[in-house]
Amino acid sequence: MSDEPDINKAQYASKKGEVVLREHVYDGIQEYDQTLPNWWLFIFFGALLFFFGYWIAYYQFGWAKTDAERIDAAMAVISDAKAKALDEMLAKLTDDALVNDWATDPSRVAGGEAAYLMNCIACHGQDLAAKIDIGNGQSVALPGLPLTDGEWKYGGKPMDIFRIINAGTPADSPGHNGAKMEAWGLKLPPVQIAEITAFIISKNKQEFAK
Amino acid sequence: MTTSITYDDKTVRRFMTASIFWGVVGMLVGLLAATQLSWWQMNGKFLETITFGLFKGEGLAYITFGRIRPLHTNAVVFAFVGNMVFAGVYYSTQRLCKCRTASDLLSNIHFWGWQLIIVGAAITLPAGLTRGKEYAELIWPLNIGVVLIWVVFGANFFWTLAKRNEKSLYVSLWFYIATIITIALLYIVNHLSIPTSLTHSYPIFGGVQDALVQWWYGHNAVAFFLTTPILGIMYYFLPKAADRPVYSYRLSIIHFWALVFIYIWAGPHHLLNTALPHWLQTLGMLFSLMLWAPSWAGMLNGLLTLRGAWDKLRTDPVIKFFAVAVTFYGMATFEGPLLSIRAVNALSHYTDWTVGHVHSGALGWNGFMAAGMFYWLAPRLWKTKLWSTSLANMHFWVGLVGILLYVSSMWVAGIMQGLMLAETNPGGATLKYEFVETLSQINILYVLRSAGGLFFLLGFILCAFNIFMTARSGKAHDDTVDVQILEKTKKDTMTIGESLRQDPVIYSVLSLAFMILWFLLPHHADKAALAVTLILIAKAVSLFKKEGNSWGHYFDRLLENYLPFTVLIFFAVAIGGMVQIIPSLLVNKAANTEERLQIPYTPLELVGRDIYVSEGCYNCHSQMIRTLVPDVMRYGPTEEQGYSRMGESLYDHPHQWGSKRTGPDLAREGGALAQGSKTMRVGRRDNLWHFNHFWDPRQTSPGSNMPPYPFLFDTKADLKSLPKRIAVQTTLGVPYPAMTKDEIEQSARDQAMEISSSLVQAGAFIPDKPEMTETELMRHLADTEIVALIAYMQKVGSYEIVDHRREGKALDPDSIRKQGKAEPAISPTTSKR
Repeated sequence: MSDEPDINKAQYASKKGEVVLREHVYDGIQEYDQTLPNWWLFIFFGALLFFFGYWIAYYQFGWAKTDAERIDAAMAVISDAKAKALDEMLAKLTDDALVNDWATDPSRVAGGEAAYLMNCIACHGQDLAAKIDIGNGQSVALPGLPLTDGEWKYGGKPMDIFRIINAGTPADSPGHNGAKMEAWGLKLPPVQIAEITAFIISKNKQEFAK
Repeated sequence: MTTSITYDDKTVRRFMTASIFWGVVGMLVGLLAATQLSWWQMNGKFLETITFGLFKGEGLAYITFGRIRPLHTNAVVFAFVGNMVFAGVYYSTQRLCKCRTASDLLSNIHFWGWQLIIVGAAITLPAGLTRGKEYAELIWPLNIGVVLIWVVFGANFFWTLAKRNEKSLYVSLWFYIATIITIALLYIVNHLSIPTSLTHSYPIFGGVQDALVQWWYGHNAVAFFLTTPILGIMYYFLPKAADRPVYSYRLSIIHFWALVFIYIWAGPHHLLNTALPHWLQTLGMLFSLMLWAPSWAGMLNGLLTLRGAWDKLRTDPVIKFFAVAVTFYGMATFEGPLLSIRAVNALSHYTDWTVGHVHSGALGWNGFMAAGMFYWLAPRLWKTKLWSTSLANMHFWVGLVGILLYVSSMWVAGIMQGLMLAETNPGGATLKYEFVETLSQINILYVLRSAGGLFFLLGFILCAFNIFMTARSGKAHDDTVDVQILEKTKKDTMTIGESLRQDPVIYSVLSLAFMILWFLLPHHADKAALAVTLILIAKAVSLFKKEGNSWGHYFDRLLENYLPFTVLIFFAVAIGGMVQIIPSLLVNKAANTEERLQIPYTPLELVGRDIYVSEGCYNCHSQMIRTLVPDVMRYGPTEEQGYSRMGESLYDHPHQWGSKRTGPDLAREGGALAQGSKTMRVGRRDNLWHFNHFWDPRQTSPGSNMPPYPFLFDTKADLKSLPKRIAVQTTLGVPYPAMTKDEIEQSARDQAMEISSSLVQAGAFIPDKPEMTETELMRHLADTEIVALIAYMQKVGSYEIVDHRREGKALDPDSIRKQGKAEPAISPTTSKR
């Protein structure tokens, strides 16, 4: 093994385009000294340039919005859309329409049932009785109020039901055993809330027929 | 002068055997965890069936997902890959240094100490003893054990380097050095904690700082425990197996230095779009992109070394495993930068895409590199032939099918769930799917993933059997070789000072220093720093063109001096972490709130939080609403809520931002005080909902795959250690009012009783204790963990609005940018309607 530095040969390799096998052998392992592939260098330097460019664009020129600006603007649009959808729904929704149109339309009731099963049964139960039978004669109490007992704590008009689902338990109410319903209007579109109302009405047909 | 030496291959055999053993265990635990996501019964109820009713219960605490998942990750990372790395390092280092490992005693301590730690982990993690930080779950006495054993390993390794009979260090050794010093650095910083008992401690960092330190560690544990040592192993075993020279020496130089330097900076890509300061997110993303090329340099040097040896692919299972492993390395290191782009991450983060990503690395890269190395080593360690080549081939194909099944099902699951979670109803004002609906859609993919994992495990068992039979057919054998003794005067002659006073070092240090100033200096000064940086880089490039030869000489000489070389590596890896972490530590904690300040937990809520951490809830639930529309719509829809701010988790030791959502985010579960109550809070859901949900999650959320937690309804909450815990929290800066021991306990008991009576009043009862009267039930519940946990759930994310506009936070590019733009600091809570 010579002490001649291999790097000279490597230089030679890159100039002449020949491949050099370095002289040093490590436990039988030898090393070529191939030049770096151009496409690889392109990726490497590209990423470095992108780093400088991106930082300059954001921090020096302030070209992009901050995250807070971006999300606040987006949420403002959404909250306007939400308010508009609710206004439109309230404009056409009446006690009478809910009982006679929505609650008699099987597709509305079915839509309401599906939304009810997804969102409401944890507190009001699958059969709207606010408890679940778990066998052995035991039944588990659920946090919500029963919806089939003819009592409507926050008003029994169809529109009252729509509003309470939409806005949740009023802030000044102590709730039912401390439990307060969340404002579903934040998560569900008004049409789904109207459908859930229709579903509840359809489960209390006699009462609302009056 | 020549002498005859015998290598210590016994240690290699031991580590290899341990790796195979723990590999089977770790993968088995992973398989169990995977099936739990499809079938909740796998959290314990299945034992009723297989023990014919001997075990009775809905769930078994020790094997719930939240406890098992950390066991799986720790087992495969530290036990399977750890032991495999040690086997590879001990085997190759001796041969690359042409000398026996320095101390057999240290090798023995290293081996047995490490196995003891693993056993400790296997006992404590299922018992729910955890620090609550991913891949850093082990409790503090075990942490100390890990550090001690790591020091033993390091001492043994560097001592061997010092005694070497080979003048120059081969590239494998560079990677081993980087591994040893970086893991020590990462592990120690991320495990700094103050004990409250023999088995429990609080990390000294909290909230955003803890998140930053955690992912600096978490990301680089992958980098320096699962990547760099394996690359070192690749550089040794792959050319050996292929019997071909390594493709390119200069590629390995740039590969090595770029990789170890850049990797460290990329940690914040685990926290994109969160409350982490934007400049850190930007660094995380940009450095991850820069990591693509250096990573691929490793892949190239692996694959291109096989040029001229591809025919062996047909006959030699070792080459098969290596070729596929390196390919998976290339794939995973392309996917990594891709997932680090903030816009891609918005979709992928918290979903199974990430899980698929790590498994293409873990199964493909680590698993197959391990298998290739085992098949290459076994015949040599036992001086025989591999017992069955066809069995090894079968392992290859079964394993490969397993990986592909696993990874592709996780891709589909992750992307599908990410898209579903963001899908809105017509009009765009509300979201289309409930979280649990997305879960039922991907369940089939979870089943496929379990199948993939099962395939991989079966393949690995074939490997274990094959190695066992090989060992039996041969006899333990330690290689003996004649080596020329290298005199002390011929190696390690360069002083550290000399090694630093060199153009390449000086220019790197200076341009880096100015680059960092460019990040952190105020307006205009930063531009000057940038200009200086660019000038320095240009000067360095021109110097290199002119004097490249002397730079090359310098590096060749450096390789003959292990200590200066190690010092330079240490600098390269330390810088990134220092720049990212130290500014956030210097910022006054209370000023770091974004106008929202977390309300500290009451004593009972703290007990509840410790239960939340100990049950590993963070494995499936995040507490971080990102600055993304779908996140805010789903988890923080009211105008007061919005996305998570830094201050909301300021006092959380450890932070619980999470990294995966198998269940929904919980950052806004908590709420205001209940009417007329001093301590009891009511959040999004009331106490009874939580009570029912913990007993049987499917009762309140049909389709949920959460484990049932019946054992929380029996276990008594630990109030005894509360004073000590609160004392430590106070030390860490959480503003607790001064309370005596009695006051603390009384406060906890009062709050527990209040929650317990509200539960009983609302009709709660424990199905397996129907005989209890209301009073008995109230008393019983007040003592249990479930009530403490409910207290915590009702508190999560509670904050108060603080008006602070303290300016002049130094060292923070974001506030500098704000000042530069001279815009009024907007406060989303008070602006708009």
